[in-house]
Amino acid sequence: MNQASTSPRGIQAIAPERRLGGSMHTALVRRRKAAERRFRAYGAGALILSLGFLVLLFTNIIGTGASAFRQAYVRLDVDFAAAELSPDGRRDPETLAAANYPGLVKAAVRAMFPEVTSRGEQRDLQELVSSGAAFQLRDQVLADPSVIGTRASVWVPASALLDGLLKGSYDRSAPEAERRINDRQIAWADRLAADHRLELRFNRILFTNGDSREPEQAGILGAVMGSLFTMLVTLALSFPIGVAAAIYLEEFAPRNRWTDLIEVNINNLAAVPSIVYGLLGLAVFINFLGLPRSAPLVGGLVLTLMTLPVIIIASRAALTSVPPSIREAALGMGASRMQTVLHHVLPLALPGMLTGAIIGMARALGETAPLLMIGMVAFIVDVPGSLTAPATALPVQIYLWADSPERAFVERTSAAIIVLLAFMVLMNLLAVILRRRFERRW
Amino acid sequence: MSVSTDGHTVKRFDQQLASLRSLVLEMGGLVEDQINRAVQALQDEDIAAAREVVARDHVVNGFDVRADEEVVNLLALRQPVGSDLRMVLSMAKTVTDLERIGDEAQKIARMVTQIYDGNSAPNARLLRDVANMARLAANMLHGALDALARMDVDKAVEIACGDEELDSEFQSALRRLVTFMMEDPRTIGHAIDVLFMIKALERIGDHSKNIAEYVVYLVKGKDVRHVTIETLAAQGRNGS
Amino acid sequence: MPELHPQPEADHTAPAPVGHRTVGTVTVDNPKIAARDVNVFYGEKHAIKHVDIDIGINEVIAFIGPSGCGKSTFLRCLNRMNDTIDGCRVEGAITLDGQDIYDRELDVVQLRARVGMVFQKPNPFPKSIYDNVAYGPRIHGMASSRSELDDLVQWSLEKAGLWNEVKDRLQQPGTGLSGGQQQRLCIARAIAVSPEVILMDEPCSALDPIATAKIEELIDELRENYSIVIVTHSMQQAARVSQRTAYFHLGDLIEVGETEQIFTNPVHKLTEGYITGRFG
Repeated sequence: MNQASTSPRGIQAIAPERRLGGSMHTALVRRRKAAERRFRAYGAGALILSLGFLVLLFTNIIGTGASAFRQAYVRLDVDFAAAELSPDGRRDPETLAAANYPGLVKAAVRAMFPEVTSRGEQRDLQELVSSGAAFQLRDQVLADPSVIGTRASVWVPASALLDGLLKGSYDRSAPEAERRINDRQIAWADRLAADHRLELRFNRILFTNGDSREPEQAGILGAVMGSLFTMLVTLALSFPIGVAAAIYLEEFAPRNRWTDLIEVNINNLAAVPSIVYGLLGLAVFINFLGLPRSAPLVGGLVLTLMTLPVIIIASRAALTSVPPSIREAALGMGASRMQTVLHHVLPLALPGMLTGAIIGMARALGETAPLLMIGMVAFIVDVPGSLTAPATALPVQIYLWADSPERAFVERTSAAIIVLLAFMVLMNLLAVILRRRFERRW
Repeated sequence: MSVSTDGHTVKRFDQQLASLRSLVLEMGGLVEDQINRAVQALQDEDIAAAREVVARDHVVNGFDVRADEEVVNLLALRQPVGSDLRMVLSMAKTVTDLERIGDEAQKIARMVTQIYDGNSAPNARLLRDVANMARLAANMLHGALDALARMDVDKAVEIACGDEELDSEFQSALRRLVTFMMEDPRTIGHAIDVLFMIKALERIGDHSKNIAEYVVYLVKGKDVRHVTIETLAAQGRNGS
Repeated sequence: MPELHPQPEADHTAPAPVGHRTVGTVTVDNPKIAARDVNVFYGEKHAIKHVDIDIGINEVIAFIGPSGCGKSTFLRCLNRMNDTIDGCRVEGAITLDGQDIYDRELDVVQLRARVGMVFQKPNPFPKSIYDNVAYGPRIHGMASSRSELDDLVQWSLEKAGLWNEVKDRLQQPGTGLSGGQQQRLCIARAIAVSPEVILMDEPCSALDPIATAKIEELIDELRENYSIVIVTHSMQQAARVSQRTAYFHLGDLIEVGETEQIFTNPVHKLTEGYITGRFG
């Protein structure tokens, strides 16, 4: 009390303009509010910027890739002449498969333009229809031999040339020498279009075929199946192993130098460039263990190695977030450590673990580099049917197609990216749904 | 965590306890004064002074009410335990005893007005024992309040033990009064008045003893009421 | 101003030395749990120092003391919950019915079934009310049939005074109950495995006064069948529910005594200072 009279203390020591409500204080409040507004604006700006890039990316990809989901088809009136398909009258699959289908296609095309006779013109004419048309007719006959001896109107894929023309890839006004399609072919195409024999239809081939040198024959089914098998292996290995490792480290292992070391290493492994895992897989699984090259099995193993640290870290985080009171309650009831974990901790941690696993899997799905190292980059036409069959994966397929110069491959690259992104979105959606489904309050 | 006996973490609690205690001590001073004035009035044959003592009893009662209120507040709001609880309880009981002592002083003063109101003053021999006992009783009360003020167990035990002396003094005074009354039946009227007075003084001694015993309870946490002199004295010896 | 409060006894001046001898009677006839010279270390920290204390049959004993005094730590020694903490080391002897609970042969799971525990924060499992109570009997294989289990669940909930409030919603989550109900559910869960001793670690610190009163009433009823050790920060609560009170200070057991004696006439200066609110 008496100190207040000798030297000003407390509120007395503060100059009036600095007190709450004083002029300097009001200015301070104004500055603070302005700073706060600026800070929020920076955040919103950053968000808008990143959203802008995302929109740019999507419009670019979708703009390029959307056209790949449609493909030019030509309607041919095919004469499934019995003499042509089974000269000896036998209708067993071998005979039918060996028949001259390209001949059927050629005949049908010739029949549409009877005025074309010269060899050069003939060659140009046949370029309008995809070589895949013959395979389509073969499959049709094999599936239903009763068509033999009849005439039927069949939509077959047009060549990349016609496809490109329909999608406007070629400039009609350019001099003939500077474009891949010549004037004759353009004239025929226009006639076909006028006869309703040429149109863009949904591109089934993209989803049912494997890779091909002919863009109109190239599909992503092989890559999707390869990715699927790879992911199956990865999921089957990395989730149980990762969760088990996390549970052991978090719930059972003593805290000592060794577990610290392991922890540090797991955290470091999560940051190792994925190509290193590819090299490791090449050295261990292929060169040392002698597993087949280009196989989804090896791809899955490599991606497992890559995903494990991510899953372990996510699972540990999920376990740590389970309140210790639940563990105490169970232990206090006389539950053993294992019962505590299995009955109480794991069910609560599962949504977090699943989310972590799915995010890890999504990363693995988009991974290219390690797969290049183990040979999953090969050109593989057949759709893989087993874990050891040679296969490629979606991102690798994208990488391969992106290398091809043809206009039709460029749009297919984008289409494959769209499919890959769709898978990613699906997996993330699944993660969200699983979280919602399993999440419980405590 | 440091421990200090300086006071409670809640300072207001300390203030309340202190204010209760000073209230009780103040009341003790007032009551002591009442006794002294009553006895003085007897010696001075001063009826006016005696009336004043009688009139002042309501002040004592006022203290009683105020102290009780503070005790109730302390119990309700602070829920004292341990030494605080003993403090509050012994204060509450001390107040009751002080109020009774005040009543006894008032009784003596009334007797004084009664004795000197008549035409004949009492024989001085009758009053000799009153003066003697009044000194003893006043000393006891003073000592008990002193012990309370200083939390002095030894002093309290000494006071409590001293009640025996007052009791035996009362017995012999009683016998002497009986003797006077047998000698001269005309003194019976005054003798009975004196008898009431020495009885009042004897009661004051008992109440003072109670107060001294509360001090022992307050400090040592042991209830020493209704125990033998030896047990009581033992408290003083193994005390501080 | 003269000394307002009684001078302490000369022998018990603060602070308590290491290896301090406890004031008051630590032993009881025919103890349920007997702890002798118990020391607990967290790494280098000496958390409990040479504690001797008995816990009697059918009594409620309260552990009081300032934060960090070791009362909870000591409580957790009694059913070996400290085992789960890394770097925690317990020395000395704690016996339950004469059997050393830190014996290597002894099954800690069995021990925790016999010495149940109720925690500070109500922590029902995120399961239904029924499953919460049935969990202990299930893992210990106590009920041979569904109807037996039903009976046991009902009995436990009745005993915990919760049956009437939850009998119509046994399948609803236990976490949906109010705080006080959750805590009684935890008590029901603990007594479902018929323990002999129930340890309560500040069971009412998260509850409102009405819920607290219900728990205290429950503790008083449970005393007929169980020995109860309760750690509490509320001295009034210790005074209300316990028969004996033990005061811990910085890992030392300072004073043990009948609750009446501790709260009217504590012997040790530290006890006095703590219960009257004189810690500065």
